[in-house]
Amino acid sequence: MRRALCLAVLLAAPALAADPKDTPPKDLPPCPSASDNPDVPALVKRTEQLLEGRSSIAVMTMAIQTPAWSRSLKMKVWSKGRDYALIRILEGGPRETGMMTLKREKQLWNYLPQAGRVMKLPAGMLGDSWMGSDFTNDDLVKGNSMADDFTSKVEKTVDFAGRKAWFVVMTPKPDSTVVWGKVEMLLDRATCVPLEQRFYDEDGALARTMAFSDLKQVGWRTFPAKLTVTPAEKGRKTSMTYESIEFDVDIPDDTFGLRRLQSGRD
Amino acid sequence: MFRLVSLAWRNLWRNTRRTVITMSALALGCAGIVGLHSYRESTYAIVVHDITEGLIGHLQVHGQGYQEAPAISTVVKDPVQVEAAVEGALPGAKAERRVMGAGLAGAGELSSPVMIIGLTPAEKGESSLHTVVEGRDLSPTASREVLLGRDLARDLGVTPGGELVLVSQAADGSVANDRYTVVGTFTSPSAEFDQVAVVLQLQDAQDFFGLGDAVTMVVVRLPEGADREDVTGPTAALRAALDLKTLEALSWGEILPEFRATMHSKRQGQRVVDFIVFLIVGLGVFNAMTMSTFERTREFGVMGALGTRPRRVLALIMTEALLQGVLAFAAGVLLGAAVLYSVGTVDLSSVMQGDIMGARMPSRIDLAVNHAAVKNAALVAFLTVLAGGVVPAVRAARLKPVEAMRHT
Repeated sequence: MRRALCLAVLLAAPALAADPKDTPPKDLPPCPSASDNPDVPALVKRTEQLLEGRSSIAVMTMAIQTPAWSRSLKMKVWSKGRDYALIRILEGGPRETGMMTLKREKQLWNYLPQAGRVMKLPAGMLGDSWMGSDFTNDDLVKGNSMADDFTSKVEKTVDFAGRKAWFVVMTPKPDSTVVWGKVEMLLDRATCVPLEQRFYDEDGALARTMAFSDLKQVGWRTFPAKLTVTPAEKGRKTSMTYESIEFDVDIPDDTFGLRRLQSGRD
Repeated sequence: MFRLVSLAWRNLWRNTRRTVITMSALALGCAGIVGLHSYRESTYAIVVHDITEGLIGHLQVHGQGYQEAPAISTVVKDPVQVEAAVEGALPGAKAERRVMGAGLAGAGELSSPVMIIGLTPAEKGESSLHTVVEGRDLSPTASREVLLGRDLARDLGVTPGGELVLVSQAADGSVANDRYTVVGTFTSPSAEFDQVAVVLQLQDAQDFFGLGDAVTMVVVRLPEGADREDVTGPTAALRAALDLKTLEALSWGEILPEFRATMHSKRQGQRVVDFIVFLIVGLGVFNAMTMSTFERTREFGVMGALGTRPRRVLALIMTEALLQGVLAFAAGVLLGAAVLYSVGTVDLSSVMQGDIMGARMPSRIDLAVNHAAVKNAALVAFLTVLAGGVVPAVRAARLKPVEAMRHT
């Protein structure tokens, strides 16, 4: 739950825009742009509703900056709903090109091209960095449960990056296992798309910022094509940018199969 | 002088039972101090030996900042230069290059977090931090072979001849991954190490982590006979020879500060034990000496009347006290030593397991009398008889002969 609503959302984000007919699904409530004080859980649920039962294929680049090194990876992501995803590294270091990460429900497997083997990630390492980025393995596995774990309230409307945005303050419910003390979220009033999330630790210090930018119009939906994560640790930053996306593609089930992964083919 | 001693000696045995009881208390106190102190120091000697001869070494040279935040990208770029500095600053010391990094090891369906360690396999006769228990040691050159800690091998279900996949992050941030052949399993002076360590040839580890010629650390071992525990001198000498902008040199005590602090506080605790022994036995001596001088009040009166100077009475009684002290001390040390050597080796493997601060709690302790313990016991014995004897002695010396002779 540490990094709720980030990579899981991003991986599934194309599905937000994944309606081939340029109209939103009928059971989707409209974005309450006019309201000064919309129901935030409903907004988050609205996003979640869109994520389910859809599939997508996307190509993206991930740029990682640390004080010791910087590098960039190009990857292709297949996803089906929130439970299945396959990531293949298209371009990266010589030993990692062809590497694949398979997510099946709550479990992660990696195909290691140099070793030519598949390895399941032990539960104890879910909190570790994925590919050296500021995302953890956990980010890949965890679904979006923000609406369940937080009490949220719209405090005001602010101008952010030239857009009108709801300033939402989210505090964890007493019985939730969330590690954050508080989360602030800026939601675009026009499109209901998140623009920025700020995560504070239990002492009230800013622990990381996630910025959603490069809003693109795809079909009926506006979605952020770039996500930048800046942790509190100085000199670190990870950003992900979509290069291309395809929606509602029929992805054969065996794409997310272990046998397929073991063969090293995507 | 001889007369004084022989007179004191004779006086001691005028009440044999009391003297024996007093001396027994002091002897047992001394034996206790020698025994406990020696036992603790014997334990430390083994743990410090395991630390300095094992994974840690006496000193380590790292890339600047490694101790505070170990990272695979914090390296010693030019180990050859560091080795030259070690040779110059600490003649006779040995330098070993080492690569260390965290990773994940997988075999078949199983995987486990591991510590990946690249080193130059020890040559015949050299001490090594691992003892192969199954299979064989690594080949002397890069070979894509690995050794696994015995417990790790058991957890992963691999045996010599099996295959192991390693994954980690390389120094440039990319994903390091490769496949190796398991050639053997080992035990080491650290239980934790047996549980997490994968050992491979230095060059293989450098390739795996993409380090080139760089290493994580240069481990320095001082020549035989050097003080294992206190290495502040060599640490300062080595620091002076290194470029501290890019490198750091640390003693084993600085690498394991908690362990160092535990040792220190346990030693402080010994002083409390010493003081309690001093207090209890000292009161006993005081009581015995008071009784002994009180009984001889008339005798001291006669001695005074015959012209014995008060100073000589004082000296006589103090000599009696010191004689008891010396005898009791000797008996106590002999008793302590007898117990230590008759036990010889303590096997703690059934009661103690696991590590204290990265070093395995020794399962076998070879007991020996510790010199500092004997010195300590001597000091306590001396102070005890001095404190217990001085008041009765002064009182006896101050007696007025006429009154003393009338004492009934």
